[in-house]
Amino acid sequence: MNRLLANPFIRIALGFIAPLLLFGWWQWQTSTHVTTFAPPSAIGKAFAEMIGDGTLASGIQATLRRAFTGLAVGAPLGIAIGMATAVWRPLDRVLSPLLNALRQVPMIGWLPLMGLWFGVGEGTELIVVSMAAFFPSMLNSHAGVAQVERRYLDVGRIYGFTTPQRFRLILLPAAMPMILTGLTQALAFSWIATIGTEILMGADAGLGVTMQLAQTQQRLDMMLVVLAATAALGFAINQAFLRLRRFLLRWQPSAL
Amino acid sequence: MTDRASPAFVNFRTRDGGPALGAVIAPVLLLGLWQAACMAGLFPVQILVPPSVVGSTLVSMAGSGELQHHVTDSLYRLILGFAIGTFAGLVFGTIIALSRLAEAAFSPLFLTLWQVPVIAFVPMMVIFLGIDEPFKIAVVAVAAFFPVALATFDGIRGVPKAWFDVARVYRTRLPDLIWRILVPATVPAVLTGLRVALTRAWVVLVAAELLAADSGIGQMMEMGRQLFQIDVVLAGVIVSGLIGFLLDRGARTIEQRATRWRTA
Repeated sequence: MNRLLANPFIRIALGFIAPLLLFGWWQWQTSTHVTTFAPPSAIGKAFAEMIGDGTLASGIQATLRRAFTGLAVGAPLGIAIGMATAVWRPLDRVLSPLLNALRQVPMIGWLPLMGLWFGVGEGTELIVVSMAAFFPSMLNSHAGVAQVERRYLDVGRIYGFTTPQRFRLILLPAAMPMILTGLTQALAFSWIATIGTEILMGADAGLGVTMQLAQTQQRLDMMLVVLAATAALGFAINQAFLRLRRFLLRWQPSAL
Repeated sequence: MTDRASPAFVNFRTRDGGPALGAVIAPVLLLGLWQAACMAGLFPVQILVPPSVVGSTLVSMAGSGELQHHVTDSLYRLILGFAIGTFAGLVFGTIIALSRLAEAAFSPLFLTLWQVPVIAFVPMMVIFLGIDEPFKIAVVAVAAFFPVALATFDGIRGVPKAWFDVARVYRTRLPDLIWRILVPATVPAVLTGLRVALTRAWVVLVAAELLAADSGIGQMMEMGRQLFQIDVVLAGVIVSGLIGFLLDRGARTIEQRATRWRTA
């Protein structure tokens, strides 16, 4: 048995068993019962259709733009505030309890309030996505700077570093692994928040909007195409970022 | 210069004891500022109502039993869905950890689905389950399933192979192997998975209630938004934040209690 499993081809083939069973069950369901669902054989057609009329491309484009805009706003702000509160204690005293209180509210729970303040649309979605990116960036940057080893700073003092030098040469590199961990989380969170707000608000274009549309039209085939696109994109973004992280941390002696 | 070099550490060291007072002062200060800003007329009432109004809304909603109704409905969904998802996650995680064949057969699908945010499954689940109670419980169950299954898998795979060898030498029976070796060894990892699952389940439940529900905290906020009742929306934000906080704190406490033997 174990020798069989060591064969990579057999392993891959085994991996297809569960999805095939699922598809088989689905096909059987649609052929034996009268259901409103499209059979799985319709997925290919739906895929072609969505490529053809540009729904998929425009959805992917809108979702990616939204997720990265939110990330570009929320993450730098989070890193800046996280580092500032770690270095400057009075700011920490004032800001951290407030931010910690805000952090407890489920990300998507802000949607009704923001919707009331800024209307149902792009602005509200971007704010929620930015908030989703902000908190993990802030928490990890704070922890990263707060945990910088004291002896590093002592060395800096012996060399008579100025404040900017201390920041650039000691604090920033030492906190970099944690900052990047925060960014990785921020990336995942803003991705989730983007899909979530798109599903809930359904404004404009986007993968979540298309999913919501597929739901109201009972188009399971269309839904699965979008789900597959979401999975593939999420995976690709995550992998790309892990590579970037490894590149940025290449000076570290051991891999993280 | 030298003094300014160290606040990061001072801060870090006094975390536990020092800022207890500060933790009380800051929220009070915040509430005071919020109240003052509203009373000074900085914000129109449609945009921001003072905390005193939110407070009295909470009190009157609690008085009429409406608040309790929403909270108990949400918590009921959370507990039931979490129990189902956790049980399924534990069983699935154990199976794919113990059987290489099951791992080869199921983990590719599992890891693929893991890439998709749980909230993205919401529209599909609406197609299958409608928007009633089963849908909300299923959403919570799915949100809880993945972290628990993964943590269980990692926990069991993390058990040193030597322990199994020792068990084999002693001819340990399977129930004993599970209860006396596997369970204690995997408890820390699984508890962490449970805590993550609980927090995620709460977030996803609130989202699902925003989308479609006749009761629950999420629904309370969504109705408030549609009726432009900013006080109800703010009350919902506060309550959902409080519940999220208490769930996380409770889970952390249990986690620390249960894993104390490790460090002791």
